[in-house]
Amino acid sequence: MKYMLMFIDSGQGMPQTPEGQAVYARIGEWFQNLHQSGKMQSGEELQAVGTATTIRFNGGKAVVTDGPFIESKEHVGGFAVVEAADLDEAIEIAKRWPGGGPVEVRPCVDHSGAA
Amino acid sequence: MRGPLGSGLEARQAVAVVFREEAPRLIGALLRQMGDFDLAEELVQDAIVEALEHWPRDGLPERPGAWLMATARRKAIDRARREARGRDKLALLMASEPAAGTGYEPEDRLRLIFTCCHPALARDAQVALTLRAVAGLTTAQIARAFLVAEPTVAQRIVRAKRKIVEARIPYRVPEGAQLRERLDEVLAVLYLMFNEGYLSSGPGAPERRDLARDAEWLVGLLVRLLPGEPEPLGLLALMRLHLARADTRFDAAGELVLLEDQDRSRWDREAIEAAGRLIQRAAAMRRPGAYQLQAAIAAVHAESPSWQETDWRQIGGLYELLLGVLDTPVVRLNRAIAVRWVAGPEAALAELDAIAADLDGYHLLHATRAVMLRALGREAEAVAEDRRALALTSNPAERALIAKRLQR
Repeated sequence: MKYMLMFIDSGQGMPQTPEGQAVYARIGEWFQNLHQSGKMQSGEELQAVGTATTIRFNGGKAVVTDGPFIESKEHVGGFAVVEAADLDEAIEIAKRWPGGGPVEVRPCVDHSGAA
Repeated sequence: MRGPLGSGLEARQAVAVVFREEAPRLIGALLRQMGDFDLAEELVQDAIVEALEHWPRDGLPERPGAWLMATARRKAIDRARREARGRDKLALLMASEPAAGTGYEPEDRLRLIFTCCHPALARDAQVALTLRAVAGLTTAQIARAFLVAEPTVAQRIVRAKRKIVEARIPYRVPEGAQLRERLDEVLAVLYLMFNEGYLSSGPGAPERRDLARDAEWLVGLLVRLLPGEPEPLGLLALMRLHLARADTRFDAAGELVLLEDQDRSRWDREAIEAAGRLIQRAAAMRRPGAYQLQAAIAAVHAESPSWQETDWRQIGGLYELLLGVLDTPVVRLNRAIAVRWVAGPEAALAELDAIAADLDGYHLLHATRAVMLRALGREAEAVAEDRRALALTSNPAERALIAKRLQR
């Protein structure tokens, strides 16, 4: 089953310090390990939340607005789609995330068996 | 078949005991075989309905579990033939045809408990699902016990079951390091269930007292299923020590009686001794934990012949050990009471001051501060703290107790 791991951060970006660089390096390793295990489907780091644009639909009319879909201090900063046997395995992968922020785990709908 | 059971109270109780033992095993086995929580539950309900028709008339079958399992599987086949969704379930069921046995695996109930108490489910849902699937309570009984509306409970259960299926929460007993972590979660669910029943069970709320008994039964089951784990033993001992003095917690007028004023001659000595043996069994495994230590503290109180003779030094020492594994403001609050008797009310008050900010909204912090202030002769401050405690609790028995103190 596919699970999407959404990495939440404070939107500040990684600090330009040795510590920040070290975290960044560990995140790189985390992605590499996932690739090597064959469980990685896709994943991206997203640009800062200031670059976000949201399209809302008011009575069928698309309205384009600046900013993320929800105004908050924390945002989705990146994501990975992983293949895992069950929720426990997806949780184990997410627990090893070195980024420090929360990770939301969501199962993807399986359309493979659909008629 | 044995002889007919008749329809008397005894017969109904005999049947209820069988259901309680067999239903979770049955749900667990069917869930493993078919991977559908709802269907497993419905089939077990169907089988129980059929048992209620036959058993009182024909007598209890030789092996009630096997009888229920065979009936549930027959119901499953009937359904599968009727419904489209059942076709692939039928294949699963046929594939898992039991050779000669009952179709049970020894770990079915354990898997069910761990699934119901999975940390990805909200605490409310864990409790409701465990009571429903493992303890066999109806949605209406759960609603009454928790004083919430029945549709609310039904919705919690439906949502939880949906998440189990859609997010693929595994139906499995965790292993290795995960077992310890997940077991903590299960024990927390069962202790919350117990406290909900025990702490608020006054006279006139029998449903709630039953909830404490249900939680105790579930921990007993866990002890049987995981005999090598000390913490379930600790929690079982703790619950039994509470239950051993449950009858003395309220007076004839229904008012709360504090530990120091309880009639110790009415405590259940046999239950207290049995709980002591459970603690020893757990201690022999040499893996101390929060429930074992809380049980040990409760045992020191239970074994003390009077309030005056309480071994406060030992209790204080046990609290020190407890802080090593569970350092929470509430544990510190309870320790302060032991500190009062070892080092005096001044020292206890200093302990309480250190956690005052964390527990400002907790009535027992203020009620305990009031006790210490009164012991120091600071009556005006004590009254202010009791008023604060009164404003923070809605439990009628606790309110009555504090109000009485304020009148003196």
